[in-house]
Amino acid sequence: MVNHLSLGVLAAAGWAAGGLILLRTEVNAFGARTIHAPAAGDPAAGVRYAFTKAMSPGAKESVREHLPSYVAGMFYHAGIFTALCLLVAVLCGFTLPGPVHLLSRSLLALGAMGGLSLLLKRVFTKELRGLSHPDDFLANFLTTIFVALALAGPGTPWLLSAILLLLYVPLGKIRHCLFFFVARRHLGVFFGRRGVFPPGSHHVR
Amino acid sequence: MSAELEQKLDGLTQEDYARGLAVFRHHLKGAEASFLNACVRCGLCADSCHYHRAEPTLENVPARKLDQISAVFKAHFTTMGRVAPGLVGARRWDRGMVRAWVDAAFGRCSLCGRCSINCTIGIPMPTLFRAARRALGSMGLVPADLQASVENSLAHGNNMAIEREEWVETVEWMEEELQAETGDPEARIPLDKQGARCLFTVNPREAKFFPLSLQASAKVFWAAGESWTMASDGGWDLTNYALFTCEDDHAAAIVQNLADAMTRLGCEVLVIGECGHGYQSARWMGPEWLKQAFPFPVVSILELMDQYLDEGRIQVDPTKNPLPVTLHDPCNLVRHGGISEPQRRVLRKAVANLVEMAPNGIENYCCGGGGGQLAMSRYRNRRLKAGSVKAQQIQATGAKVVAAPCHNCIDQLGELNKEYQLKVQIKTVAELVAAALVTPLPAEVQP
Repeated sequence: MVNHLSLGVLAAAGWAAGGLILLRTEVNAFGARTIHAPAAGDPAAGVRYAFTKAMSPGAKESVREHLPSYVAGMFYHAGIFTALCLLVAVLCGFTLPGPVHLLSRSLLALGAMGGLSLLLKRVFTKELRGLSHPDDFLANFLTTIFVALALAGPGTPWLLSAILLLLYVPLGKIRHCLFFFVARRHLGVFFGRRGVFPPGSHHVR
Repeated sequence: MSAELEQKLDGLTQEDYARGLAVFRHHLKGAEASFLNACVRCGLCADSCHYHRAEPTLENVPARKLDQISAVFKAHFTTMGRVAPGLVGARRWDRGMVRAWVDAAFGRCSLCGRCSINCTIGIPMPTLFRAARRALGSMGLVPADLQASVENSLAHGNNMAIEREEWVETVEWMEEELQAETGDPEARIPLDKQGARCLFTVNPREAKFFPLSLQASAKVFWAAGESWTMASDGGWDLTNYALFTCEDDHAAAIVQNLADAMTRLGCEVLVIGECGHGYQSARWMGPEWLKQAFPFPVVSILELMDQYLDEGRIQVDPTKNPLPVTLHDPCNLVRHGGISEPQRRVLRKAVANLVEMAPNGIENYCCGGGGGQLAMSRYRNRRLKAGSVKAQQIQATGAKVVAAPCHNCIDQLGELNKEYQLKVQIKTVAELVAAALVTPLPAEVQP
C-alpha cells in the first residue's frame, strides 16, 4: 500500500513541478520589460536586502504590528518545509537520527499549530474572511493537515494528504511557493535600482 | 460614486470593454503577471495603507483592491480562473468590475507604494494599479479633472495652461524681488540662457500660487554661483500628470518637452525642483516612456543643495530657522525616487531643530495627495480623511514648520492644515535654506 502511495506521491510531485513550470512559462510569455533609466543603486544588493532585512520586523511595519501572525507564519512554513523534507526522506528510505527526529517533530507541531491558528484567524476575522476565497481555506486546510499528519509518521493518511496537497499546488494559491520568489526578486531589483533598497544606497549618476 | 461616472458606465459598449481588457493585457509583462499570481490575501498589508488607517473597511485593504484587478486577470487569462472561478475568486470583466476598478485604482489609492514594502510577498502594487488605470483610461474613465491636467500639458506645455507671457512676467517679477532681497542688481533668474550648466524646472503651481518658492530656489542658485537657466517656453514645467492617468504616450510627449529644452539650450544637467511625481517622472519613468536613456543626468534640487553645502559653496545659519521643523517624505521622491538623505542632511544644517516624524523615510505615510488625488475632486472627502494619518504624524512631532519638498504635497498639507487645525507653516526645503543663507557679498557670487 505504502509503495503504491509512494508512487502516487511521486506522480503528484511531478504534477506539481510540471504545473509550476507551466505557470512560469505562461507568465514569461507576457514578455519582459526593458529598462532604460540608469540605476542609482545596486539591483543585486536590492534583491539581497529584499530577501533578508526587508522581511524583518525592523524594516517592516506589517510585521512589527502583527507579530503573532508573523510568528505563526514562520512556524507554519518551517513546519511545511520540515514535512516536505521528511517526505523526501521517507521516499528515499532514510531514517532520521534521534536528535533530528526530535527537532523535526517539534517543528511539525509548531507548524501545525501555526497553520491552524492562521486558518482560524481567516475564519473568525471579519475583514480577513471578506478578503478570502474558498481557495484560501482549502490551501491552508490541505497544508495544515499535511503537516499535522506528518507527526503521526509515514502512514497512509499522511501520504494521501501529501498527494492531495501536491496535486493542489499549481491550482490555487500555493503557487506562491514559486511566485513569492519571482515577486520578491522583482521588488528587490526595482527598489535596488532606485537606491531605495538597501536604505541609504542611492547615488547620483 | 458620482453621477458622472455612472453616466459613463451606462454608455460603455462591448467594444469599450474589449478595448479596456486588451489594453490591460498589453500593459502586463511577465513581472506583473507573476504579481497577479502571487497574493496570498494574508491581509497584513491593511494598515500599511493610509486609507485603511483612516477608515478601516475591507474596500481599503490593499489586497482587496489588488484582488479586484487579479479577479479579472484570473477570469480572462488563467486556466483555473476559467475552470473554477468561484474557487479562486475570478470575475469576468463587466460593468460591476469596471466600477470596482475605478473605485479601487482611482478612488482609494494614491500609488504611494507603502503597501509594497509591507507586503508579505513583496508585490509592487502600484504597478498593477497603473495597469488598471491605463485600461480604464482607454475606456474614457479617467476622472475629467485629472485628464484635463494632462490635456493642458499637451496643449500648453504646462499643466495649468499658463501662457508664455504670463510665465515670463512672473519670472521677471521674481528676479526683481531677488535683486531687492540680495541687494545684488546682477542677481538673475535666467531664461533661455544658452550653455548654462543646469536647466531648472518647476511646478506651475510655483508660478501661479507660490512664486516665493521659485525665488527661494533662485536665491540658492545665486548664492552658490551656479550657472543655470529656465526655459521660457516648453520645458519649464516638471509635472507629468500622465504618470497618474497612466497613458504612456501622453507621458512620453510631456517628458519630451524637458529633453527638447535640454537640447535646445545646451544644458548639462536637468534639475528637478521640489516635486515628488515630477522627479519620478523625469528621473525614472521618462527614459522608459521615451524608450531610451537621457544623454544627461537628472537630479533633484535637493541633491544640488546638499552638494553646495557639502562643498561649502553656500553657508547657512540654522539659528535663522529657530522654530521646530519636521520633514514630510513625498512618496514619489523617497519611496519611489530614492531621494531620502539629501534633504535630511540639508535640513540638519539649515534649521535649528529638525524633528523626524514616526515613521519616516521610505516608511513614511503618504499625505493623501499623491497619485493624482488632488486633481480628482470626486474623491476630495476621502482624500482629506485619508490625510488624517499624516495630520496625526505632524501633530505628534510638535513641529511648527513642515518642510515638504513637493508642491502637490504642499497643497494637500495646506488643506490638512485647515481641516485638522494643525497651525503649522508649510515650506519647501529651498525656502528654509534660502532663509538660513549667510548671504555672500555680490562680488563673491560668480555665476
